[in-house]
Amino acid sequence: MPKLIIDDIPVEVAPGTSVLEAARSVGITIPHFCYHPALAIAAACRLCAVKLLDGPVKGIQMSCALPAQDGMVVSTTDPEALKMRSLVIEWLMLNHPHDCPVCDEGGECLLQDFTIAGGHSRRRYQGKKRTFQNQYLGEGIHHEMNRCIECYRCVRFYQDYAGGTDFGVMGSAGRVYFGRFQEGALESPFSGNLVDICPTGVFTDKTGRFRARYWDYQFAPSICQHCSVGCNTSPQNFERETIKIVGRRNDQVNGWFICDRARFDKTYLNDPQRPREPRLDGATCGYDVAVDAAAKSIREFVRQHGADKLAFVGSTRLSLEGMILLAQLADAAGGARICYFGDAGQQQGSMAAAKLLNEENTAYVKDIEQAQWVSLHALDLMEEGPMLALAVRKAFLAGAQIFLVAAEALPARDVLPFKYTSVETLNQVPFEGGGKGVIICGAGSKDPDLLAEMASSGAKLVMLQPGPNGFAAALLAQEHGAAPLKELVAARQVRGVVCFEADVPEVLLADVEVLANADWRREAVTDTSPIFLPTTTWVESDGTAINFEGRAQRFQRTRIAGLPLKGLDPKYYGSATEAVSLHPPRVHRKEVPGGAERDAWRVMAQLIERLGGEPIEPLSGKWSSLKSLDPEGEGVRIFEIGLGE
Amino acid sequence: MELPLFRHNRPDRVVTFDEYREEGGFEGLKKAFSGMSPNDVQQAVLDSGLRGRGGAGFATGRKWSFVPRDLPGPRWLICNCDEMEPGTYKDRVLLEHNPYSLIEGMTLACYALGVRHAFIFIRKGYEKAAANLARGIEEAKQAGLLGEHILGSEHSIELDLHLSAGRYICGEETALINALEGKRPNPRSKPPFPAVKGLWQGPTVVNNVETLANVPAIVANGAAWFKGLALNPEGAGSKLFCVSGSVKNRACVELPIGTTLGDIIDGACGGMRDGKKFKACIPGGASTQFLKPEHWNLPMDYETVAKAGSRLGSGGVIVFDEGHCLVEATLNLINFFARESCGWCTPCREGLPYVKEILTRIENGRGEEDDIAILREHVKYLNYTFCALAPGAMAPLDGLLRDFEDEVREHIVKRKCPLK
Repeated sequence: MPKLIIDDIPVEVAPGTSVLEAARSVGITIPHFCYHPALAIAAACRLCAVKLLDGPVKGIQMSCALPAQDGMVVSTTDPEALKMRSLVIEWLMLNHPHDCPVCDEGGECLLQDFTIAGGHSRRRYQGKKRTFQNQYLGEGIHHEMNRCIECYRCVRFYQDYAGGTDFGVMGSAGRVYFGRFQEGALESPFSGNLVDICPTGVFTDKTGRFRARYWDYQFAPSICQHCSVGCNTSPQNFERETIKIVGRRNDQVNGWFICDRARFDKTYLNDPQRPREPRLDGATCGYDVAVDAAAKSIREFVRQHGADKLAFVGSTRLSLEGMILLAQLADAAGGARICYFGDAGQQQGSMAAAKLLNEENTAYVKDIEQAQWVSLHALDLMEEGPMLALAVRKAFLAGAQIFLVAAEALPARDVLPFKYTSVETLNQVPFEGGGKGVIICGAGSKDPDLLAEMASSGAKLVMLQPGPNGFAAALLAQEHGAAPLKELVAARQVRGVVCFEADVPEVLLADVEVLANADWRREAVTDTSPIFLPTTTWVESDGTAINFEGRAQRFQRTRIAGLPLKGLDPKYYGSATEAVSLHPPRVHRKEVPGGAERDAWRVMAQLIERLGGEPIEPLSGKWSSLKSLDPEGEGVRIFEIGLGE
Repeated sequence: MELPLFRHNRPDRVVTFDEYREEGGFEGLKKAFSGMSPNDVQQAVLDSGLRGRGGAGFATGRKWSFVPRDLPGPRWLICNCDEMEPGTYKDRVLLEHNPYSLIEGMTLACYALGVRHAFIFIRKGYEKAAANLARGIEEAKQAGLLGEHILGSEHSIELDLHLSAGRYICGEETALINALEGKRPNPRSKPPFPAVKGLWQGPTVVNNVETLANVPAIVANGAAWFKGLALNPEGAGSKLFCVSGSVKNRACVELPIGTTLGDIIDGACGGMRDGKKFKACIPGGASTQFLKPEHWNLPMDYETVAKAGSRLGSGGVIVFDEGHCLVEATLNLINFFARESCGWCTPCREGLPYVKEILTRIENGRGEEDDIAILREHVKYLNYTFCALAPGAMAPLDGLLRDFEDEVREHIVKRKCPLK
């Protein structure tokens, strides 16, 4: 463990730690642009200069590229180091357009921060500024090359980290240009990370430009709900609208980055057409009126047909809290049936995965990255868990062999960011050194023999789940004996359903009566259900999700529910009692326009009460250790808290 | 005494394979393959005191000795023929007259280093040299002096010619390696040094054309003979000086190491042009400081020139007379370096155009007193760049401010170039 002194502070760090990171460990931020912990060292910007006063190396050195060694005496405030850093800023400012007021990065710009920190303030250069032509890079990213400070982060991420080939660096000297050979949409499904990784405003999120400044945003730690990987995100909200979604670091899951679906697929959250009003028989009503009606309808149905003819249907979109209370609600209704899955194959695959996995055989993302071979079994990785493709790429770059099993029909196999060998069956994958291998399996149904074969291979396993909270659904389906809805309907065992964020296929609706539907999006059942109860989305609610590896992660409410202020119907401007609406609004309203949504699990709790039950605290009993889960932490694998079996 | 590099040269054409052999060519190769071990060859080069002729002047034998011999996998030798230092054209003259010394020298270096496959990285514009080399490689192969089982031994050595698009930065050995691998020619960070991790992550030696072309004579005649070629006791061998600028005969000449500056200009080049007075010269390519009239009798060797505050560099001597404006000359050089920066690190990419802008203003009579201080800042802080390009670019500016500050100041005070 090297011991060194940085600005008179003794520091001890792990071998191989850079002086920059060693300084950071004691709270000293050495300014830097090209350095990024997820990328290889470039030492290109030369901003992180420090002076070594004593020890094995002396003089001005770049702290990002200098491994900490015993006996180093480092000064970050030496006049020579300060001068170097101020000159680097001056050099970078020769051509920077200084257009911060009209730059979407302003306020969250590393270049702004370190320019102020660098101490350069007076322009001495008398020459002209260099300018570039910008490119159209697709609907996600806006390109503004004049702002570039040539830190090479974008190209190092895009090509080296994400394996993209259609974006790179061209030209030399003062004319280096970061872009595509020809204008056009970026091809990489990870291109959105350019927005996060660019230290200035060359790449900004086109889907949320000029809407708000960084300090305007409401943020909270969240978990992406697009697939079962559970990447950590920070939705940035302004006036009840999710403007941008950025990646949030979690080294156990997604590292620093997120895929483009997580970042750009957000219009549904802000959609003014989202069903936001509770409805009873087609007419808008108060929320409690709708809940009362639902309870009444449930009681009536149970009295007529018996509780076993009624199913409470959830889905893998529900939070863990919702899934737990769904079971209690079915119980409160007199022992109704529970469905977490619509499809039998999906349920079988999901439950088999949850049953097979344990602390020993479940791969961490690090296991994928360090594997000697990875076998992708019957899955479209770019669809089911794009961020894992980057983990596989890391293994590939380190020399691992990648096999694609039975994947001939997959559409996205050509865009996988690594080279692979196609094989027919798992048998053809050479299992030597099984302990350092990883098998990644899709969410579909799984043959028991195949699972046994995978389990005995000695490889670590990744079993992707259908939907963001599939693992939890499988655990609860196991616990409560839940059945797939399609099966129950086909066997005529169920005649009525109450849906909570359930994706009920339209074909089933001919055979069952929908008593009530609670959801945040319009589904087939939304229009046929006599009672509709609007619920909150994941950005508007607190909850817990369990990802593919059994990692429970907490997401927090990032903004209140309601219609976005932008584009708000003028009918909301005035008071409810006055005929003429005023603009701008001159009356304070007590309710948020379109903000009637409630969290699904709270609606369940209210129904339980109405049905005469005592709603439980969702994360109690065996789940109670998840109650204190830190939303900013790494999450916890349920095996570690004894919940796996 | 006959100097090794140019002794086969014909004035008007390239030497033929047969002529080269008749005049003692490939004797070094034969000697090495009949009784010298690879270690003996390396030792001979080490003892000869041969120093890298590309500009840095690092001892060639020592460079070879850094290559680990116990690593699995192939080792590589690359000949750096990306000659782009302004004022330097020695490799071109050498190869356009005689490709065989280089081919023989590379074969010997491969033998000494245990390399099976070597590359010649040759820049654009050197098509004639490349054609000579291509033909020479073929002839050497036909004669069993290259390729499979050289001279019937178990040693096989491949030599490949790589025609590069050519940029100044490709002369930097790690950038050259990147270029050869098909990547952008940005320099790599060191360590690891190429001797340990170079081409395709294998141990790699990169040597200049002139350096390698010296090896056959060293092996054939012995290290002591080579050392004895120099005129000064510390020196070793001969050096190609390519003289340009204000001399009567601008030429590339081979002279013993230790020849004085005055002897190069007055002797080999027939003196100053039109009887002009010698004002200054750049001794070893654009990235070296100026030498002044007081250095007229300076023996041209690595150590002696370094003591005089400059570098022997590549041997590209650019001579200025009293009528030349050194601000303009420096600006011309900075212009080149600013253009040839690879664009990787900030000080080089942005600092050189900054210097260029200031020098342009000074030369055009729009200089300001503060400019000299800004230039001095650049001379100091452009040392902290990723590779040696910008520090090299600052050498003539450093020399200008050190030895000719009055001339610079005169530009600023008179608000015009005093020599125009």
